[in-house]
Amino acid sequence: MRGLSQRPGRSLTFRSVAQFRLQGSKVLAVDMTGDAVKAKNGSMVAYEGDMTFKKMTGGGDGLRGMVTRRLTGEQMTVMEVKGHGTCYFADRASEINLVSLTGETLYVEASNLLCTEATLRTGTSFTGLRGASQGNGLFTTTVEGTGQAALLSDGTAIVLRVTPQTPLSVDPGAYIAHTGRLRQHFQSGVNFRTFLGEGSGEAFQIRFEGDGLVYVQPSERTTFGGDV
Amino acid sequence: MNGPVIHDAQTLPVNDNVNPYAFSVDLNGQWFLQKGKMVAYFGQIAFHGIGHGPLDRIIQASFHSPLHAQDWVVAEGHGRMVLADRAFDVNSYDLEEGNLTVRSGNLLAFEPSLALKQSIIPGFVTLIGTGKFVAASNGPVVFAEPPIRVDPQALVGWADCPSPCHHYDHQYMRGVLGGVRMLTGFGGASGEEHQFEFVGAGTVLLQSSERLMEERPTGTPPDEAGVPQGGTPSTTANQPSTPRLPGQLGDLQRRFGL
Amino acid sequence: MAFRLLNSRLVQAQVVPGQRLFSQRGAMIAYTGDVSFTPSITGGQGGVMGMIGRRVAGEATPLMTVEGNGSVMFGHGGHHVHVIELSGETLYVEADRLLAFDGSLQQGTMFMGSQGGVMGMVRGQVTGQGLFTTTLSGHGAVAVMAHGGFIELPIHPGRPVHVDPQAYVAHRGDVRNKLSTALGWREFVGRGSGEAFQLELSGNGTVYVQASEEKL
Repeated sequence: MRGLSQRPGRSLTFRSVAQFRLQGSKVLAVDMTGDAVKAKNGSMVAYEGDMTFKKMTGGGDGLRGMVTRRLTGEQMTVMEVKGHGTCYFADRASEINLVSLTGETLYVEASNLLCTEATLRTGTSFTGLRGASQGNGLFTTTVEGTGQAALLSDGTAIVLRVTPQTPLSVDPGAYIAHTGRLRQHFQSGVNFRTFLGEGSGEAFQIRFEGDGLVYVQPSERTTFGGDV
Repeated sequence: MNGPVIHDAQTLPVNDNVNPYAFSVDLNGQWFLQKGKMVAYFGQIAFHGIGHGPLDRIIQASFHSPLHAQDWVVAEGHGRMVLADRAFDVNSYDLEEGNLTVRSGNLLAFEPSLALKQSIIPGFVTLIGTGKFVAASNGPVVFAEPPIRVDPQALVGWADCPSPCHHYDHQYMRGVLGGVRMLTGFGGASGEEHQFEFVGAGTVLLQSSERLMEERPTGTPPDEAGVPQGGTPSTTANQPSTPRLPGQLGDLQRRFGL
Repeated sequence: MAFRLLNSRLVQAQVVPGQRLFSQRGAMIAYTGDVSFTPSITGGQGGVMGMIGRRVAGEATPLMTVEGNGSVMFGHGGHHVHVIELSGETLYVEADRLLAFDGSLQQGTMFMGSQGGVMGMVRGQVTGQGLFTTTLSGHGAVAVMAHGGFIELPIHPGRPVHVDPQAYVAHRGDVRNKLSTALGWREFVGRGSGEAFQLELSGNGTVYVQASEEKL
């Protein structure tokens, strides 16, 4: 899908052709000229032009990806949408956030990934304990390459920059994605005990250290941790 | 395409909204938070459960009903802290030597300079003093001036006006249609036969939906003659939500949808 | 007579004597002035015949009549609200999407099958919204609800728009609808994907789509 665009009236740019734009904050419009995008299954709400929809097994990574996903339990049902025209995607009125990748890796919970350009590779990676706390499994989805990805969040996501001087603590239920060179570990050193004894031991946070961006949603999924 | 706004430890707003659903507190000392409402923070912040330890004095000053204190934590330290509640709209309010009564489930956080008290109206709490607090609502909050009649489920709270009362549509209840309905059960109710009425000087806060936010227990007032709802859980006011019974797991139960 | 959006979820209507409004029951948030809310047994206009028509059509959404002199705020379930002004056209909308509308608008029900033939019937089954849809025509305003935001897509001759039946909210204008199957739909059989069937709208008009596949 990458290549020099040669259509008249367009500058010659070395980038993928599918154009991602937001229609309001909850609908993603993708303008396509014969190319393809990968999108969460069932997330198409409308389209103009000619489109074909094809279900992909194993998150679009072929047989190997499928086996990996079976093993890792990171569920991702993806469809490939291909055609000419504009396709509109939305998912249960979630807010949509666009992320432009230029070679770096995006780590994202599979349920928060709406759509990626075909130029981007998706895979899975081991996340350690964080996944376990969310019941999402120990593995998270990675998106690599150059192109655009659309993330879902419950409420408008906040993007927070982590620097070596300013580490960040995040409620595990509010975390959706991150990029950059970040180390993450559980932080439970919170002095938290109520006089009735209820709700103790729930103060888990993920601490991010290093250099990168963390995407946080203003809402919390059901978690074991993070009752602060 | 414009990229999203990237915030860091310095550029997060100071005691202001990050977006309609998230509020950033510039913590320098203490704040009270409802449990589970902190989504991220920079800096050195410790969270303490309420009702024990070195904070007893401040809690005495700010909490006047020990029974709801279990739902609150104290954030103490220095840094920027982002608060949010299930992607509901979040707003901050400033009180200056004022009072504001708010539905208990809508209150997220407040400065210790304010005092939190149980309202005489079951299911509501009153904040008194000078300071800032943060409240959530299902849809943006609309401010209205009395006289006004309000769907009970849409009421978030009110400031100053000390006259919340019930209003019944007697014309409907005694009228022809009501009679037909009583005789035949046919015709149904409009769903608007009963409202809360406010008159006098003040401000009424409404949310944009009649869907209630989950109620938080406000504690049980003493079982005395003349105390509304005395001795019974306050959450039963006119709520479909279940009151917390002894033996239930409370928050944990809610979180797991039991 | 106008609806004014107070915010994305709330609409305010002025009620003046002699002009009534219809709204979904229980959707009143607050009001000032002297306003009465009466359950509308007939579900709007049309008397007994209209009522029977509605019973048969399965479109009997509980409505109430709003009359008097004052100002009323409407909202429901935290859903997004969109105001559509009609000037002589017809709006096709599922009855449970209606928040409030001018009493001066002509109400009716339309058998979707008559437009889409057999496929129209399938559409009703797919969306679970029945084979009948409500029509509103004339001059006035309609406040419609959707889960999440609305997008408005123009339909031009020769450029049909395909919509996920679950995300469809309403349409207006001279529009034909039929149910189509996407190319490559075999891939989806047995997988429960919403993309197996699509509502194809062609002609000249506008379709309103919500940012969600969830029904209200």
